[in-house]
Parts: sequence; structure tokens; C-alpha cells
Amino acid sequence: MEDMIQMDRAMDTRHDIKISARDVQVYYGDNHAIKDVSVEIEDKTVTAFIGPSGCGKSTFLRCINRMNDTIDIARVTGDIRIDDEDIYDPRVDPVQLRAKVGMVFQKPNPFPKSIYDNVAYGPKIHGLARNKADLDEIVEKSLRKAALWEEAKDRLDKPGTGLSGGQQQRLCIARAIATAPEVLLMDEPCSALDPIATAQVEELIDELRQSYSVVIVTHSMQQAARVSQKTAFFHLGHLVEYDDTDKIFTNPQDPRTESYISGRIG
Amino acid sequence: MKTSLLTSDARTKKRNATEARFKAYGLAAIVAAMLALAVLLSSVLSNGLSSFQQTYITLPVQLPAERLDRSGNRDPAEIAKTTTIGYSPILANAILTEVDRLGLTTDLSDRDVFDMISKEAAATVRDRVLANTDLIGQTVTFDVLASGRIDGYFKGRVTMETAALDGNTSPEALMLAQQMADAGVITTKFNWNFFTAPDASGQRPEAAGLGVAILGSLYMMLVVLFLALPIGVASSIYLEEFAPKNRITDIIEVNISNLAAVPSIVYGILGLAIFINFMEFNQSSPLVGGLVLTLMTLPTIIISTRAALKSVPPSIRDAALGVGASKMQSVFHHVLPLAAPGILTGTIIGLAQALGETAPLLLIGMVAFVREYPAAYTPEAGLFGEASTALPVQVYNWTQRSDPAFVERASGAIITLLLFLLVMNAVAIYLRRRFERRW
Repeated sequence: MEDMIQMDRAMDTRHDIKISARDVQVYYGDNHAIKDVSVEIEDKTVTAFIGPSGCGKSTFLRCINRMNDTIDIARVTGDIRIDDEDIYDPRVDPVQLRAKVGMVFQKPNPFPKSIYDNVAYGPKIHGLARNKADLDEIVEKSLRKAALWEEAKDRLDKPGTGLSGGQQQRLCIARAIATAPEVLLMDEPCSALDPIATAQVEELIDELRQSYSVVIVTHSMQQAARVSQKTAFFHLGHLVEYDDTDKIFTNPQDPRTESYISGRIG
Repeated sequence: MKTSLLTSDARTKKRNATEARFKAYGLAAIVAAMLALAVLLSSVLSNGLSSFQQTYITLPVQLPAERLDRSGNRDPAEIAKTTTIGYSPILANAILTEVDRLGLTTDLSDRDVFDMISKEAAATVRDRVLANTDLIGQTVTFDVLASGRIDGYFKGRVTMETAALDGNTSPEALMLAQQMADAGVITTKFNWNFFTAPDASGQRPEAAGLGVAILGSLYMMLVVLFLALPIGVASSIYLEEFAPKNRITDIIEVNISNLAAVPSIVYGILGLAIFINFMEFNQSSPLVGGLVLTLMTLPTIIISTRAALKSVPPSIRDAALGVGASKMQSVFHHVLPLAAPGILTGTIIGLAQALGETAPLLLIGMVAFVREYPAAYTPEAGLFGEASTALPVQVYNWTQRSDPAFVERASGAIITLLLFLLVMNAVAIYLRRRFERRW
């Protein structure tokens, strides 16, 4: 039985490399937040970033869609490639990049507009829909994928902020996948949710794996163990260990990983 | 030693006493402020409410053709040659006839009886005749203004005692006026003229109105709104969202805050130098006034707009950027609508400040006595180019006149100004509620 699972994992992990980072450094002013991080993230896989607060996992996540560009004092060096294209190349427009790399944030942050407009906004500004019928279809498809369609279909014109926390987060996921991204970044998507909503979102993440490369930052090791195939452990700006999730949790190589997993640091 | 919770110890007592003292100071300050406001309002209202009423004398006036249209051809140009002086005997005749008809007797000379009518009355009659020359030869009933003293008598400002000492009226005139009022010839009506008539000279306070001042203030507010709002909001968006944060933008930011505190009269000097001396716009024109007030209002609008933009939660910006909106799209689609209530409030506060501003207008010549309505557009003067005045300047002007009737007018103008401000604030609150959304 154990072997079967191991086999499954092995099959699962045979995916193309979607994102490859090499020697990434991030500075916030004088603060060296990310040090020499190199990692290869696979397509159609859930990759979890774990580590204590302030270890740089969210910072690294935000490098992947260049959200750090919006912070004046942040400086990123090194090489991050998606599908072998350097995303920090001067020719890359971060706006186009972010359509390709969707992001879900820690706190559900729907726009103070209707549910429909929340989901339709991305496709609208990227010109993904030729007409209203197209747009309706995209909205429905995205909401279905985010497992929100049944709850929201009768109240599409109601404000998205009127939904419950878990629903809001799923709305944000629907909004992120409406632009047909290839990578989905999730920055502690369940930290503001109750256990039931968390379970729903986790289930959703597992389904999203079919179509996207998902990178999730989480504080909860159980969550990382539940949803991810690969796990990266960050500590004080270093990427300490990166391997298959069950290996990290059952047989960590680095003593720091082991102490964190067993709850001695962090 | 064990202490009981039922008795408070010395430290707690001291703390509570400090808190109670602080609360008492606060309450005292608020009570003092309310009292001051009550005194201010009651003084303004008691002096000024009467300006919304005006005393009129209803007179049938014979308009003799042999006097007004000597050639008899009803040629308007020729009729216009008869000045207001030519109309005075007609009016004198009318009031004397009316006094006779009512069977009233008085010791007053004919001249004194005629003086009960405002000096403005002749112009009123003349304007009506020029507008409709068919009236000549007929007897037409006019409601003409009573003189300021008679008006004051019916408002309680002039009494028999003060009239006895007054060279402009006499107790006999007041008694005659009272008899005429009893006969229904002298009546007090709502004073629409106060809001439509232009200013009048120092001898005829009863005719003075706010028409030109209201129009001038309105033109200026339009200029301020259409210049200060877009420029202010656009520059705040640039400074807050797009400009790099460095030493230069820091200096600009500090200076904008300082500009908001610059005495307004300095803006007047600036306006005089730039708009009148250098650009040679007409002095006293609402355009120049509006430009000066725009300069003065811009810092207020910029500061409040930046505060409103800052208060939009960063998560909304992240959300917009996260789905691939450009900076511009995230600002205009998401941040700006959320900041709108704050921006509107700031703008209306700025406009209200501009509406009540006097000092800079004095320097650009808006203190002038304006008898004629300014045209909104003339080919010579251009848009908003004719001499005008403004509400607060009109108040200032009237408080300088010697006739006590102008005290009432000035207070009435203050009430009008306050009403305008009240309306603007109500609009601000309404818009705020309307645009306010929760997130």
C-alpha cells in the first residue's frame, strides 16, 4: 500500500518545470530579505512554502508576479524564469505577467463591486471576451471552478463584499482564474478563514492543480501536508530545504527543517 | 495588608479625579463654544432677518403724455431723454393725490411727503415706462419702495424719538406713514429685490440688493470648481500614486501643506501681479477672482484628496494589480471611486472657504461699487470678464456705509452667505453618503 502511494507520488511529480529561480536576492532598503534562493517549481503541481513568520516566503512569492515592483524600496536580483523566459527582463511588462500569474491574497479582498463585476474585471481589461455572452461564460466557468457558482448564481449583481469570508476568498480565486493564468500564487489564502471554509478552499486547490501550477504560502504545516506535492522550507531568508512533501515531513535532511516541523522553532 | 475592592485606594481616586477634570474641561469648552455660536446667530438673525421684508407704498401714478412724450410719437429714444429727475414731480403728484384721496391731513410740506418715497422709485417707474411705452397717458398702480426711514419705522428700527433727532425724517412723517399703513396703502412684503437687485448708493439702502454679489460669487465658484477640482485631483493622484518618493517630492509635499497656511491676502497680491498686471485681465472680474480663489483652494483640495487616496486599503490596489490591471487602471477603476467621498468633502470644504473669502478679492478690485449686472459673456470682456462683486465683499462694503439701514442689509447678506454655506455642506454630506461604500 505504502509503495502504491510512493508510486503515485513519483508519477505525479513527473511534470515540466514551470518556474525556475536562480540565486534570487531581495533587498528592502538595507534589509536583505531573500538570500540566494534557487528553486524549480513544476507545472500542474501544488508547491507549498512553509517557514516561520518573517522568513521571506511571502516576499519570494511576490517576486514571481513582480508584485514587489510596487514597493519602492524593494530590489530584486537574480534570475526568475517562467517557461524559460526571464520575467525581470526589461522588455517584460509586469501587467502582462500578472495576467499569466494570478494571485490570491491573505485577506479576502474582493472589489467593492458586484460579484459579477469582480470576476469580469480581469477578462474585461485584458480583452478576453468579445461580447457580453463570452463574458457571462467566463464568469460562470470561473465561479464554477472556484466552487462558488451554486451559492452565487442568484446574486451575481449583489456586492462581493456581502459574502462570507470563505465565499469572499473563493470569489478572489474565481477572479484570479478568470484571466486564464498559468500559475496561481496563494499567499496564506486560508489564514482568515474558519476550518470549514478552509477545507473548502483546500479541496479547491487540489482541483486547481489539474490546470495550473499552484504555489501556496502557508503557516499551517498540516495544510502544506494536505494540499501540496512539493514543499519548500524557508528560514531567515534562506531556502533551507525543497523536496517532495512527504519527504520533508517524514524525513527532513536539514536539522532546521526538522526542528521547525517538530515545533521546536518558529 | 489586604485591600477591599469596595473602597478605592488613593491612586485610583487620583486617577478618577484627573479623568473627571478632563471631562469637565471638555464640557466647559463645548458649552462656551455653543454660547458663542448662539450669541453670533441671534445677533446676526435679529439684525438681519428684517432685510428679507421690505415696505412698499402702493400708488396710482398718472403718466401724463405731455410730460413724458412731448412730441407724441412714442419714440423710445425720445422718451428715454426724460431722466429720473423728470419723473420726480409725477411721483410727488401721485403721493400727494393719494394722501388727499385718503382724507389724511398733515403738517408736512409737500417736499417732506414726497421724501417718504425712496429715491429709487423714480427709476422704477421710468424703467417700467421704457419697457412698455403704451403706459404713457394712463394711470398705472405702482408698488414703490418707501424710504429707508419709513421702512425702518415699520421694522422697529426708527422710533418717534429717534425721528425727532433725525434730519432725514420727522415724527409727523412717521405718523402719516402709520395712517397710510392703516389705510392699506403702505404694506410690508417679502423682499425678493434683496436677492435680485444690484447694490444701491449710500442714500438708498432700501433699494440695495445682493443680485450682483450672488451672481459674482456664483461665477467665481464655477471657475474654482472647474479649475481647482480637476487640477487638484489630478495632481494629488500623480503625487500620491505615480511620483517617485524622493527628496524632491518630499519638498513639494511640505510646500503644498505650507501653501494651505499662507494668508489669503498674499494670494490676492499674487493675483494682482499675475492676472491683472501681467496677463491684463479685467480687474474686478469674476474670472480673476475665480483664478485667485482657485490658487487659494488648490492646497486644500490636494491635501484632502491625498488623504482620501491614502485611506483606500492597500489590499484593493493589490487585488487590482494582481489580476493584471495597470497602475492607471487600478487607480481609476478602484482607488478613485473609493476615495470619491473624501475628495468631494475636501472639494466642498475648499469651495466653501473660497465662497467666504474676502481679503484677496479686495486686492484685485472686487471691492468696487457695482450698480450694473455683469454679463456672463461679452465680446469685449470675454468670459466672466465684467466687473462684479462677491457676497463677502458686499458685506464688507455695506458695513462701511453710514446709514444704519445698511447694518440690516449687511446682516441679511451674512445670513444669505451662511445659507449658501449650509446648502453646500448639505450637498457634501449627501454626496458622501451617496458614494460611500463599505469594504
